Amino acid sequence: MIDVENLTVRFSGSTAVDNVSFHVAEGESFGLVGESGSGKSTILRTMVGLNRHWDGRIGIAGMDARTTRQRDLARTVQMVFQDPYGSLHPRYTIGQQIAEPMLINGIADPLGRTAELLDMIGLGPKFQFRYPHELSGGQRQRVAIARALSLKPRILLLDEPTSALDVSIQAEILNLLNRLRKELGLTFVIVSHDLAVISYMCERLMVMRNAKTVETLTREQLRARDVRDAYSRQLLAAS
Amino acid sequence: MTLLNTPAADPKAALRAARWKEFRNFARRFFRNPLGVVGLFIVVLLVVVAAFAPWLATHDPYLPTLSARLAPPSAEWWFGADELGRDIYSRLVHGSRLTLLIVGLVIVTSAPLGLIIGAVAGTRGGWLDAVFMRITDVFLAIPKLLLALAFVAALGPGIVNAALAITLTAWPPYARLARAEALVVRNSDYVNAVRLAGASEFRIIVFHVIPMCLSSVIVRMTFDMAGIILTAAGLGFIGLGAQPPLPEWGAMISTGRKFIFDQWWVATVPGIAIFTVSLGFNLLGDALRDLLDPHLRQRK
Amino acid sequence: MTAPLAEIENLRVAFRNDEGQWHDAVRGVSFSLGREKLGIVGESGSGKSLTGRSLLGVLPSYARVSVDKLSFDGIDLKTASPKLRRSLRGGRMGMILQDPKYSLNPVMSVGKQIVEAIRIGDRKLAAAEAHRKAVAALDAVHIREPERVMGLYPHELSGGMGQRVMIAMMVVREPDLLIADEPTSALDVTVRTQVMSLMDELVTRRGMGLIFISHDLNLVAKFCDRVIVMYAGRIVETLDAKNLRAAQHPYTQGLLACLPSIDGSLEPLPVLNRDASWLEAAR
Repeated sequence: MIDVENLTVRFSGSTAVDNVSFHVAEGESFGLVGESGSGKSTILRTMVGLNRHWDGRIGIAGMDARTTRQRDLARTVQMVFQDPYGSLHPRYTIGQQIAEPMLINGIADPLGRTAELLDMIGLGPKFQFRYPHELSGGQRQRVAIARALSLKPRILLLDEPTSALDVSIQAEILNLLNRLRKELGLTFVIVSHDLAVISYMCERLMVMRNAKTVETLTREQLRARDVRDAYSRQLLAAS
Repeated sequence: MTLLNTPAADPKAALRAARWKEFRNFARRFFRNPLGVVGLFIVVLLVVVAAFAPWLATHDPYLPTLSARLAPPSAEWWFGADELGRDIYSRLVHGSRLTLLIVGLVIVTSAPLGLIIGAVAGTRGGWLDAVFMRITDVFLAIPKLLLALAFVAALGPGIVNAALAITLTAWPPYARLARAEALVVRNSDYVNAVRLAGASEFRIIVFHVIPMCLSSVIVRMTFDMAGIILTAAGLGFIGLGAQPPLPEWGAMISTGRKFIFDQWWVATVPGIAIFTVSLGFNLLGDALRDLLDPHLRQRK
Repeated sequence: MTAPLAEIENLRVAFRNDEGQWHDAVRGVSFSLGREKLGIVGESGSGKSLTGRSLLGVLPSYARVSVDKLSFDGIDLKTASPKLRRSLRGGRMGMILQDPKYSLNPVMSVGKQIVEAIRIGDRKLAAAEAHRKAVAALDAVHIREPERVMGLYPHELSGGMGQRVMIAMMVVREPDLLIADEPTSALDVTVRTQVMSLMDELVTRRGMGLIFISHDLNLVAKFCDRVIVMYAGRIVETLDAKNLRAAQHPYTQGLLACLPSIDGSLEPLPVLNRDASWLEAAR
């Protein structure tokens, strides 16, 4: 489903991503773990089209990310951002923001679909007419997920989806994500610095450090502590 | 499972209700600021006086009564009479229309122009940004009154020309302001999310960036109004703005200059009017800024 | 039992919300602190940060505070003059905040800031002596090449180093009480362990009292002697850190249960069902 080969991203002198490769099968949940500055968020942003300066090859559901238009990419892969307090436009209602991607892409019955999406994420139809500042962090993140799903993408990229949330809210959001993945047959790529969250959510994961791949592991290997690299061990010990 | 599907029945009304609730919250917070309320009152008073000028005036503002030349304030001439025996109060009241006209003309042209230029420059970046900002710099470098003088000297004096001249120097600050906001907003997650959905640059600028620039622009507008009134009065004072017999406040001060020591009311009354209206706009602007500027928010 | 280092009884802090009504953020919090490591755990909105700041007296002016007893080392802070409270702050009571990016002055070099902190305590101190003390403070927090770091600006420091500088600034005047408000939340996980062990070393060696405020229950339990759990402005449970697994209150149990763990089950995480009775809960 996702093929990243020899991805390198350089920003004015410094290398954010250094020759990274990985593959994600359809329906799989793949984790990118690393500390700040490891390059994991940059990989996500590049995959989804927010960053257009990169070398290498990125294949998304058979499409070449370099030559595909944003509109076509948008119907296949979408992203949920880290900060729930910054991912919703302050001046528009929740309903308007969930419906907007549908309006842009000419999808029929945006209102009906909005109600459906709100239902799917566990918020009632009344939320259509609320403004973001009336919502809690967890509720905002749910809305962000609904918005990302409005174009029925097959792949969802999640950049630290629960880092800014309280632990009890994190549990709700992680449960929601797992449920949605099962119901809609989605493929996930999740970025986090929290090894416990990645281990819970992902079957396979890749450890990154300083823009480079350190190691790729399966959940079983992690649980069995079958970890080769010293840095990965350090991360494991600190979790 | 949707239990209460009522909002879907009339989404437009529900949206209006949500917007109205936001506005009510805003109004409630505004009215907690006493100085802001004073400013608002003054501005509303100006508008009301301008709207009902013919009914509020006691005399014809253009009709000279030579027997009452330079009459002091009395029961008949509320603020006294000028050197041609015209009632100063009535001229003041009619002059408010000119004040409002000039302020309105300038704001309505300069603010949107500056906003669009700044928002586009800030969102697009690159050479477009550079070109727009250099043009802005050029106009910013020219002193307001000087450009207005040159303009009016070339095109001839008059209210509309004066307003046009002031507009030319009034738009750059809005461009700067809008660009600063746009630079921040264009990288925010909510704009990125909409980019991911395939939104065009046009859509992003018009529907996502510009709404976020509005707060600073509105605050700036209220402060600017005070400045515009003063500049227009300045032009009128020199004789390049409104021409006689128009009762423009600045022109009134100019003619009243000669009598300042013995018949102080001729120059002082319009001066107090200009001062009050400027103060009103400034107080209003201060209150709005306290409410709208996210950096000044007191609560978390 | 030796006299407690700090005592708070029935602390109440309220703020005005958008509609103009007073909302209680802290509702009747009481506890005492000896020369030990006390952890205050809670989610956002629990009032834990406000509690720490009340002790120091650094709440914003628009907050309404009331307390029955507020004392530090026998000094009644409730009736103390602002001058006295100011002299205690930084001198005998210190505070470390979450993100060194925001708590260090960006336009002053690190050395200048530490020297300023030293000089506030002792105005007559000579410049050379203050400099020497500052370098010693940086050394005490295990910063390599302290002389070089003295000349750096906050934006040139990594997260871990910035936090160490913060700790150095606060500890240089040898306070008796240190309040740490989420000191490691903004740090990478590998750096976290280093900073935590540094704090442990300082607190134990100098016999300071420490209040460690965090949302991370497991971290606090590993590090502190006693733990207070707060919910919606109230203390719902107090326990010894080693007895964390045996927590009685459903909120604490819920917090522990809802965390994913590497070795844990892959079933849906148990979600906290907030009971209205917790809002009324006493200790």
